[in-house]
Amino acid sequence: MKETLLIIEDNEQNLYMMRFLLEKSGFTVISATNGREGIQMALHHKPRAILLDIQLPEMDRYEVARELKKHEELKGVPIIAVTSYAMPGDREKILAAGANGYIEKPIDPDTFVDEVRKYI
Amino acid sequence: MNKEKKPTTYKFGTPPNLIRFLYPIFLIALLCLPSLGESNYDRRTAVVGVYDNPPKIFVSRSGKPAGIFIDIIEFIAEKEGWKLRYVTGTWAEGLSRLEKGEIDLLPDVAYTPEREEKFSFHKEPILSSWFQVYAPKGSGIKSIIDLNGKRVAVLERSVQHEAFKRLVENFGFSVTIIPIPNYNDLFQMVSRGEADAAVSHRFHAINYAKSFGLEDTAVIFNPTRLFFAGPKTGGKELLDTLDEYLSEMKKDPHSIYYQTLKRWTAEEIRFTFPEWAKTLGWILGSILLMSIIGIFILKHQLNIKTKELRQINQEMEKRIIKRTEELRVAMEKAQSADRLKSAFLATMSHELRTPLNSIIGFTGILLQGLAGPLNEEQHKQLSMVQSSARHLLALINDVLDISKIEAGQLTMSVKSFELRPVIEKAIKMVSPFAEKKGLNLIIEIDDRIGSITTDQRRLEQIILNLLNNAIKFTEKGKVRISCRAEDDHYLLSVSDTGIGIRANEIDQIFKPFHQIDTGLTRKYEGTGLGLSISKRLIEMMGGTIEVESEWGKGSIFTIRIPKKAKEFS
Repeated sequence: MKETLLIIEDNEQNLYMMRFLLEKSGFTVISATNGREGIQMALHHKPRAILLDIQLPEMDRYEVARELKKHEELKGVPIIAVTSYAMPGDREKILAAGANGYIEKPIDPDTFVDEVRKYI
Repeated sequence: MNKEKKPTTYKFGTPPNLIRFLYPIFLIALLCLPSLGESNYDRRTAVVGVYDNPPKIFVSRSGKPAGIFIDIIEFIAEKEGWKLRYVTGTWAEGLSRLEKGEIDLLPDVAYTPEREEKFSFHKEPILSSWFQVYAPKGSGIKSIIDLNGKRVAVLERSVQHEAFKRLVENFGFSVTIIPIPNYNDLFQMVSRGEADAAVSHRFHAINYAKSFGLEDTAVIFNPTRLFFAGPKTGGKELLDTLDEYLSEMKKDPHSIYYQTLKRWTAEEIRFTFPEWAKTLGWILGSILLMSIIGIFILKHQLNIKTKELRQINQEMEKRIIKRTEELRVAMEKAQSADRLKSAFLATMSHELRTPLNSIIGFTGILLQGLAGPLNEEQHKQLSMVQSSARHLLALINDVLDISKIEAGQLTMSVKSFELRPVIEKAIKMVSPFAEKKGLNLIIEIDDRIGSITTDQRRLEQIILNLLNNAIKFTEKGKVRISCRAEDDHYLLSVSDTGIGIRANEIDQIFKPFHQIDTGLTRKYEGTGLGLSISKRLIEMMGGTIEVESEWGKGSIFTIRIPKKAKEFS
């Protein structure tokens, strides 16, 4: 059975890139373009892992991470932050908010899928 | 008798109660002793010589005797119930009458042993005085020497007459002494030019010298005590009574004695204030008044100045407050500009990197053939896209880093980790480039390298920067990375056999946007920010970076990294 991954990402191109690479590697990818939707999908589909881009609008990215971690049924679901390291302390903050790890942008097609697999 | 005892020259206020009380006793005593009546009556009429020597004794304008001595004797006569009869004449006449026993008392007689042989004196002096020579103002007569050959007027047969004669004789001067019978004529003679100077006593001179245009000289002599003198015989009882009264009067500051002194000296002085003294008084008064006005004006001006100063002060304070406010605003603007700059940089770098990340990512996907096979030309061109995009990304990252450092906004994220894997990771990242250039990459990591507490990512950045530089500027030979532990720090060196750095450029290489002049135009790609960022980062960790280089031979960059980084907020 294919493993389902949830990507929460507001940037269409990034989403497309990640989906392309992950689907190529045999994952089933579901996606949301905002935090609220992402949390609902996570609760509904219970994905193998969640890829969270931290430049989400509306709901604060850290808030999304904290919210996801609150739910008992998502306890075993790793959250992988995708970060461009734009602001100082971002990485530490997202880890503190509950993310299990991060993948740095720009996404390297050679290594991206392997990095995701590390958390699964 | 009652009538006789009434005061005839009563002028000193009501008699004390004692006297009223004594009246009846006295009357009874007189009635009881009729045989003594006549003699008592005689003895109780005192004949007093009067001459002109104001203010001590003189005849007033109304024709009555007056002066200090008269006041005193009239008071005592009033008390004692004596009747007084005055005999007026000159001083010399007075003396003669006293000698002959025609008068009972002569006022104002200076005591001398010679006189005591002719007269009798009481013991308590009425006044003390001295004699002084008075001369016209500007006469040049100042001291006794100046009297030589001069004419000096003096009271005839007086004490001063004798004394002055002796005085000039002792000095061997020839002074023409002009005896004058009357005190008042003395100064007049001098003022008329009939004498050059006059001898007077202080009481007289106080009142009259100035009005005759005379002034005192330094010739002072013969301090005298002045008394009432009586005849040689028969006047003792009278004189003793005078002494009794005088000793009592001198004890009481409010007595007739002091009253009369005050009256005849102070009042007369006031009365005879000379014009020039009044003028002087007016001048002095005016000066005083002007001074006071001046003081007020000055005070007023001072107040104005003080006010002005206060205003200036207040203005300055206001200005200072204004300037401070301006500065505060400027600072806030600057700070907000700083924040804006940081926010701008962060946003821009994010906004720039998002599409760039997209380019790099999809280029990678295409180059990997994940989206389908590429021909050789497509692969080559896509590689160029990827290279340019990566360079652009590096530039953006560096600019962001240096901006954050400059703004003091770069924060360290310090944690403990193993150093060796970090170095190996960096080597792994650069080794493809070294291989591509055919460079020998030598790794010498000491076995004792353990953990380190610092910002891992920033340390990686520094090591990568040094390795990339070494490979970039070395065309052949080798790049060596070595690391060893030393006390509380690690020493990491990256050496190469590259182009090296000229001595005059070695100071410049850590400055932003500096890339050494290679002699070739932009042969070596890079932002020119790498080393300056590395230097700032290692310093923030509490370490140092050093470089040794020889032009054309190669360079050695050594960083000293503390095992425990300084704490950063």
